[in-house]
Amino acid sequence: MSIAFKLQNLYTLVYTIGLKNIKVKYKNSVLGFMWSMLHPLAYLVIFVFVFSQAFGTIERYPLYALIGLVFWTYFNNSMNQIIQSIINNGSIIKTIALPNILFPLSAAFAEFVTLLLSLIPFVGLMLFFGLNLSAVSLLIIPAILVFGIFTFGVGTFLATFNVFFRDVGILWNTLAPALFYFTPIAYLSNLIPEKYLVFVKLNPLYHFMVLFRDILFYNQMPSANTLFITCSLATVMFVLGLFVFNRYKRGFVSNL
Amino acid sequence: MGTESVITVKDLYVNFWISGTGINSFKDVVMSIGKQKALEKKQVLKGLNLEIKRGECFALMGKNGSGKSTLLRTLAGIITPESGAIEIKGSVAPLLTIGAGLEYELSGYENIKIVGTLIGLRGAELKAAVQTIKDFSELSDTDLNMQIKRYSAGMMARLAFSISVCRIPDILIVDEALSVGDQGFQVKCADRINEMKAAGTTIIYVSHSLTELKRICTRGACLENGQIAKIGPIDEVGEYYTQSFLH
Repeated sequence: MSIAFKLQNLYTLVYTIGLKNIKVKYKNSVLGFMWSMLHPLAYLVIFVFVFSQAFGTIERYPLYALIGLVFWTYFNNSMNQIIQSIINNGSIIKTIALPNILFPLSAAFAEFVTLLLSLIPFVGLMLFFGLNLSAVSLLIIPAILVFGIFTFGVGTFLATFNVFFRDVGILWNTLAPALFYFTPIAYLSNLIPEKYLVFVKLNPLYHFMVLFRDILFYNQMPSANTLFITCSLATVMFVLGLFVFNRYKRGFVSNL
Repeated sequence: MGTESVITVKDLYVNFWISGTGINSFKDVVMSIGKQKALEKKQVLKGLNLEIKRGECFALMGKNGSGKSTLLRTLAGIITPESGAIEIKGSVAPLLTIGAGLEYELSGYENIKIVGTLIGLRGAELKAAVQTIKDFSELSDTDLNMQIKRYSAGMMARLAFSISVCRIPDILIVDEALSVGDQGFQVKCADRINEMKAAGTTIIYVSHSLTELKRICTRGACLENGQIAKIGPIDEVGEYYTQSFLH
């Protein structure tokens, strides 16, 4: 089989399973797809009430918080889905010969499509909150792609270990809320005291938040530093995720 | 039966890679990323040799845990062997666990499309398969438009089996999957297997029911501890298999 054929085949599979994931996720809920928007909105309301008091007069705070929340929600949902993707498809993996990367890939694909669709109303809301569109805004497209690659890499890395140690999934559920508050989503990154900034910068999500806010909130070209760090993080995690996956995939059938 | 081999297995070794439990084994795995020995090795198939001719109907027997399913999975390409050579000529349709890939929240039609795609059907082939599956399963339009979580176990089995056998493969691998559905459907399944056999499909059949194996197969092998203990005409191997329980 040629590589082109293999890729075409993988694409068809990812598309089919990804679409199925989206369908199943919202199948039995009345509001269906709306939930992917209601979740960040609920948090936004809380943040606006609580934090705009705490931080006083920050201009366009709802816009600031919404940008953080949209991308956090995407990251969190993707992690939950990708980490469990191999285990959840155990019966298929043990029965049908398929490229197993299909499962983390289609989970990532489903969440990515959800993000893109939810961006349509969210951009409307952002405009209402004072988003200024300019040529710089177009950078959000490659920025989302880079974040998507990063998310897939981290997720695949964790999903692989989750097959052998279900602790990984539990650990993620435990740590996700901590990561949420460790990342400047609700609070402004320039409020972080200089001496703690070193630690905050160890959090990869910090750099992505800076990237998204430079583009959408400050309407400015992200710094070379930010671009370099985010692109490097995405590349490293993507390669590492695939490497670990390929190294351990032969153990999947006997551990599912 | 032809004389050409469609399946040739030479000196096949298959291992299971098993993770230990507890914090220490977790540490071991994390510390050994990139190294080879992170997981514990358990040898399941130990230097197995096998040759199956085109159009043959081959029975596979053996006690629980002797490696039958592992052999089938390896032949189907689901498990990568540790060493040895496998040569397979033609398409393989594994009938291992019935119902893998079915999504309970979705309708019968949606499931046909999804599972059909998973087993490799595309475009026009998939479209044609929908009708074949509908006819074979005898499920009505109403049934197929219903979420399959509302199906009875028998209906579910009909759908799953129909999808699995909707095309005639070169090689069919069956792992005790035929005991599904009501009596009428079981007869139909047996007929379908015969139809494939007549069309020249090579069949590998795993079952504990000697009567069933004797009805379908001419030759067989008995697995013991990851190796072939006895191979030959079905009656001889069946006899050997029965004897193995007596002591």
